[in-house]
Parts: sequence; structure tokens; C-alpha cells
Amino acid sequence: MTSLWRKARVLFVTRFAEMTEYRAEVIIWMLSGTLSLVMMLVWMSQAAAAPGGEIRGYNPSEFATYFLSTWAVGQLMVVWVAWELDMEIRQGLLSPKLLRPMDPMWLHYASHAAERVVRFPALLALVALFAWVAGARFSTDPAAYLAAFGLALLGFSARFLWEYTVGLLAFWTESSTSFQEVVWLVYAALGGMFAPLAFYPEWVQRVAVWTPFPYMLGLPAQLLAGKADLADAGRGALVLSGWLVVFWLLRLIVWRMGLRKYGAVGA
Amino acid sequence: MTRYLRLVRLFTGATLAAQLEYRANFLGAILASLAESGVALLGIAVLFGQPGTTEVGGWSFHQALLVVGLFTLTEGFISVFIQPNMSKIAEAVRTGSMDFTLLKPIDAQFNISTRNLNVLRVTDLLIGAGLTIYAASHLSVTPGGVLAAALLYVCALVIVYCIWLALSTTAFWFVKTQNASELFNGVFGAARFPVTAFPVPVRAFLTFVVPVAFITTVPAQALTGSLSPGLVVASPLVAAALFTLTRLFWLRAVGSYTSASS
Repeated sequence: MTSLWRKARVLFVTRFAEMTEYRAEVIIWMLSGTLSLVMMLVWMSQAAAAPGGEIRGYNPSEFATYFLSTWAVGQLMVVWVAWELDMEIRQGLLSPKLLRPMDPMWLHYASHAAERVVRFPALLALVALFAWVAGARFSTDPAAYLAAFGLALLGFSARFLWEYTVGLLAFWTESSTSFQEVVWLVYAALGGMFAPLAFYPEWVQRVAVWTPFPYMLGLPAQLLAGKADLADAGRGALVLSGWLVVFWLLRLIVWRMGLRKYGAVGA
Repeated sequence: MTRYLRLVRLFTGATLAAQLEYRANFLGAILASLAESGVALLGIAVLFGQPGTTEVGGWSFHQALLVVGLFTLTEGFISVFIQPNMSKIAEAVRTGSMDFTLLKPIDAQFNISTRNLNVLRVTDLLIGAGLTIYAASHLSVTPGGVLAAALLYVCALVIVYCIWLALSTTAFWFVKTQNASELFNGVFGAARFPVTAFPVPVRAFLTFVVPVAFITTVPAQALTGSLSPGLVVASPLVAAALFTLTRLFWLRAVGSYTSASS
């Protein structure tokens, strides 16, 4: 157990050192993910122009709160592992990593976790600035923040695993990164990046509750906005954990099959 | 002039031959195009899906769809013509292969801007054109409006080219330029919606600071006949000014180029 802990610590510390090198880029990456912010501005001015100053019970300030929350949660959810796997598999960079007595997945996971630590202070500063400009008001309940953070952690792990699986498709096809774009669209749509899920057609909502997406993006955002309670968070955590197991197994199967194929090409 | 046209034909042939070798990538490109237009379409679909919503920023559904079409078309233009060329500038400066480009007896800016194509993303252009035509067919469009829109859209493409070239030219001083174009992509994402859909301060930013409004909103306004005369003049002026400035900037950058080894 102690050796496992030491491994994890060394892994994290080295990845953290690497990620701090990219601190300027991290801020640029944060600013280039603008979909939530664009949607926020459009909905805010839609609500301001609507009769009664609100749409489905959201006034401009509540739209600001919701979309800034999705933006912040989305920032914790950023995963680029599919791009790296695509490159590693195609260029054969994966081979030396296979010699280590550890699944190469943990290296990537540690990189992403370390990047989150670099990202977090800048994220807080930007959210505070945007909230001040747009007039957003967040929940004051500390439990909501804890629950949102827990869901974000589960959500990030789920997203990491499915992106990893999509990235592994590079063993068979050259267009694995395009699959990733399609999956991202589903995640953004059902997660609630375009609007709160209640704004979608009834049948979309009925499908969405069975997917992991609303619980990793929309639900934590609603918690931060004070529009969801801890019981919702608990249900969301359960569904996400179930999906986590599914993605874990899926990743394992695709990885084993891929390795067999990779060995055949290299030999 | 004919020499340059012949060169464009040669470049196109060479890059086509190279790309069509990877046929499997075609499926991926189509998927990516569909996903990108999906993002733009979902954005307005959810907005107009609300009960009682008939317009966004004073634009009806088909008018807003026109903007989505032009946005997709522009994204296609970027990924087919602009990005494949501009992303290579930084690499050429870093490795010193820019030397060869500068030594050739043709204009270097012309060469670096036309040498490569990403044929696979032609699907973006097709989807964009299809959406634009579909949206226009539901609106009352005059031949004069179409002509004005086409001219203003050419100005829009010049503006997009100039912004990308200016950002990529900074490679002569900085090693990496990918981040700057990433940032522009983020702002350009706002062009999915008519600029009037945004709060007033943001509208000003999208018109005067980063001229995103001229790229999709202004040509769409020309097509629907709701364009103010001031903007008809402003768009070509902005395009001409940007073109002159980026040309001067490019020449200055080339002047200060000292190859990779020195």
C-alpha cells in the first residue's frame, strides 16, 4: 500500500512540475472554451428582451449564474487524452511506456489531475471577474460546493475514461479524434451547455436522464446556482458511479484488444 | 497574374494528390464537420424551441439560420484554405525552411498562403452552402441583395484571412502561434449568432475590436435587405485596411527574419 502511495505521489509531483511550465497556455485554453460564455450572453439578452424579463423562470442574472457555473465545471472537465493517445499510437511513442510496470493510463490521469491544480487559481479569478461583470449570484451553502466538487470529480473520471477509450480507437482507425468531436457534441448538448436541461424538448430530457452527461455538467452547475439540492446530487452520484464502472470495463476491453493489434503491427 | 493562377493550379493538384492517399480520413472529416455544424444548429434550435420565442435579437428563425450557414461556410473556408497554410508558418520559421520560401522567385506571402489545402474539410463548405441556400429560400431575397451579400462575404473572407495571417506572422518573433489562433477561434465562435443577439457592450466589442460582426452578420443582413448603408461601406473599408496592414506587417516580419541558425 505504501509503495502504491509513493508511486502515486511521485507521478503527481512530476506531472505537476511539467504542467506549471504550461501555465500561460493553460489560461489561453481556458479562454478559448467560450461556448458557455457565448450562450450565456445570448440567453441573458433574450431574457432581458422577453416580456416579464425572464424565460422559464430564469432572469438575466440567473442565466449568468447557470452558464458561468457550467463554464467553471466544464473547465474541471477538460480532457485531451484522446489527442495524445492518437499521436502516441501512430508514432509508436507508446512502445517504451509499455515496458514500465504500470498501466500508461495512470500517467495521463496524473497529468490531467496536476493540470487541474494549475488551472484552479486562474479559474477562481476568472469566474469572480465574470460574475462581477455579468451579475451572477452563487449559492452560499458550503455543502452545495462540496457536492458539486464530488460530482465534478466523478464526472471528470468518467469523461477521462470514455475519451481514453475513443483515443484507443487509433489502433484501428486514423480518425479517432473526429469521433471524439462527435462525442463532445453529445456531452455538451445533454450536459446542458446550450441551455439548462429543462429547456430541452421533453423526449430529449427523458433520454438524457439515463446518460451520465446531465450529472457531470448541468447538475453541479445547478448546485452552484442553488437550483438543485443534495438529494439530486446523491442520485446523480449513483448514476455517474454506475457509468464509471461501465466505462472502466469498456476501456479495459478496448485496451487489451488494441494491444494485441499493436503488437501485430510492430513485430 | 496568369503565372500566379497557374501556380495555384499546380499547388492544388499537388496537395490533392497527397491528401487523397488517405481515404480513411474522409469519414473522420465528415464526422467532424457534422459535429461542428451540429453545435451551431443546436445553439439556435434550443433558443427558438422556447414557448413564445419568435425571434432572437430581432432575427427570425430562418434569418438566424442564415447566420449559422454563413458561419459554417466560414469555418469551412478556414479549415480548407487558411489553417493548413498558416499553421505551417511557425514551423517553417522554427526549422529554418522559411529560407526556401523566401528564395523562390514568387511573392512569399502568396506562396505561404496558397501552398496547402485541406480538401477533406470540403464537407464544411457543402454543409454551410446548403444551410445558407435553405435558409435564404424561406426568405424574400432580391437579386440585388444576393449580389451585395456575395460582395460583402468576399470582404468577410478577406478579413478572416488577414486576422489569421497577422496572428501567424507573429511566429517570426514568438515560437508558438497556435495559442493565438486558438483564442481567435474562441471569439469567432460568437459569429454563430447574429451580433444583435448579444448585449450592447459585447456587440461593440464584436464589431470594433475583433470584427466578427462583419464576417457573418453583415452579409446575412445584406441578403435579408436589412443592412444600413453605413455598414455597406464599412465592411470593404475594414477589409482593405486590414489587408494593407497585414501586408506591411508581413513585409516587416520577413525583413527581420534571420533564419534559424543565426
